[in-house]
Amino acid sequence: MSLGLEKLTPCFQGILPAMLFTCAQDGTPNAAFLSHVDYIDATHVALSFQFFNKSRRNIAENPHALVRVIDPDTNQGYAMRLKFERSETSGPIFDRMFLRIEAIASYVGLKGVFKLKAADIYLVESVELVPEEPGRQERWSPRGRRQLDPVFTMKALQELSGRMTGAGTLNELLESILSGIKEFFGFSHSMILLAGEKPNTLIIIASRGYPQGGVGAEVQFGEGIIGVAAEARQPIRISGLVRGMLYALAAKRRAEERGWRPQEEVKLPGLENPSSQLGVPLVVRGELVGVLCIESETAYRFHEDDKNTIELLGASLAIAIQNMQLKEAGDEPSPAPAPARPVARSTTKRIKRQIAYYRSDEVVMLDGEYLVRSLPARILWKLLQTHKREGRAEFTNRELRLDKSLNLPDFKDNLETRLLLLRRRLDEKTDDIRIVPIARGRFVLEISCETELVEK
Amino acid sequence: MLDKTLTEFLERGLAIHIGTRNEALRPNGCRVTAVRVEDQGRSLIAYLPKAATPAVLEDLRSNGLAAVSLARPTDDRAVQVKGELISMRDADPEEETFVLGQWQALLTELDMIGLAPLTSTSTWLMWPCVAVKLRVTAVFSQTPGPEAGSVLS
Repeated sequence: MSLGLEKLTPCFQGILPAMLFTCAQDGTPNAAFLSHVDYIDATHVALSFQFFNKSRRNIAENPHALVRVIDPDTNQGYAMRLKFERSETSGPIFDRMFLRIEAIASYVGLKGVFKLKAADIYLVESVELVPEEPGRQERWSPRGRRQLDPVFTMKALQELSGRMTGAGTLNELLESILSGIKEFFGFSHSMILLAGEKPNTLIIIASRGYPQGGVGAEVQFGEGIIGVAAEARQPIRISGLVRGMLYALAAKRRAEERGWRPQEEVKLPGLENPSSQLGVPLVVRGELVGVLCIESETAYRFHEDDKNTIELLGASLAIAIQNMQLKEAGDEPSPAPAPARPVARSTTKRIKRQIAYYRSDEVVMLDGEYLVRSLPARILWKLLQTHKREGRAEFTNRELRLDKSLNLPDFKDNLETRLLLLRRRLDEKTDDIRIVPIARGRFVLEISCETELVEK
Repeated sequence: MLDKTLTEFLERGLAIHIGTRNEALRPNGCRVTAVRVEDQGRSLIAYLPKAATPAVLEDLRSNGLAAVSLARPTDDRAVQVKGELISMRDADPEEETFVLGQWQALLTELDMIGLAPLTSTSTWLMWPCVAVKLRVTAVFSQTPGPEAGSVLS
């Protein structure tokens, strides 16, 4: 082999399309674009097999192929001479390629049609430079190693860990993670989702960089990069999302022309047109705590070399979040109530807001607009009613936990997380109704408007 | 074989590659800077960079068989033209504007999906070219999806 295959790993991010050349047994050549090439080891790559096309039939007759790829760092083209070895329809190689394609397919309503049939494993017999596509040399150090942008470095991980250890509450912890990701890793758009009340769902508990906020938005397992990362419990990087989406959309148009009805496209929270996405499952002892999602409008922000540090990041965040959840759930309320904060009274009550609770749907609407659902909705309704009926503004987590009408699960009720979600959702939607922690396990409901409570 | 609509599509500035094979049925391939449809769609000239691997031209001299894949990056609409060698010559200097015009159109397409910075051609050697004239023997759709590979002409 004239060049090491390891040097080509940036080529396999799917940012610039690869080209596959094959030849039928009767001698007819074939040239076709290729969805995805995956690095397996120093002598093997895997090609995605999604459709029964001419290239696949040729390989069945004649196992020799030529694949051309381009390094997105340098623009250098490479030609790999390959020989087909085997197809895999399960296992880690298949799973990795499958997940990436599955995430893209879910964005365009193509799950089940735009899917990986097999990962075809090829022996790489040689790697040569493409002479008409010479690359730039400035991104290579004198020792021939690609000079990375400083993204997921160990130093950045250490700095983030240092900031996280200073957090005293779940709210502070989530804020420290997202601010640290911006400050130490350079990503302006990120969100953390925690396990939802319903099975196989995640809910955004904190986000940064999105004008619409998005706290409370729900993502189903299997939807987009977040849902797929949660379902598979594996990190997923997509560096060439635009290319992948265009390829999937082309396939969708052809399927529609044949009369196939696509599923509804999934509208997920996040950037309108991200070029790079990273979904990191937060897993502790096999339990999914949540997912960290980082997005960028720049293609190729997540390099191959970042893979191990990303997994390390996921593990440390998962432990930190779970520990904080357990700590807050186990905290007794402060024995002596903290001095009551002044609760806004009639002098500051100017506008009137209607708060409607739809009991059958467990949804709270504020002036006709959706505010919150499920357990956070039940909690808010309980607080508002108590406040109205008794004039009481101060509450403890413990009384909510003991309140049977809230129907909290007996085990792992995640009350503190739901309270945080409610608090953040209120902060996003109104200045007139707030939940303000005042001490460990205690908070006040601050209302600075007239409220009309309507149950429907 | 290549009607007016298809000709307009093929000559608009696409991502183009040519595939060939040697006597041992090993595939070869290289990038194509531009194409021109001639003879009322019965033939196609593929402009191959002279810097490209000599194996492709050797294959063409040896057996004459070629597959030209043309794709529009913004929507992945793609076509494959199968052909047999008619002739081969150095591209004329007066063809440079036409050929590099198509290449520039491709770069504009790439820019629309944010890939122009990644495909800066300051180092790529897309001219001068060898003009390879092929007799068109078949045309296939290569747009990704369940009907990729269907016959267009």
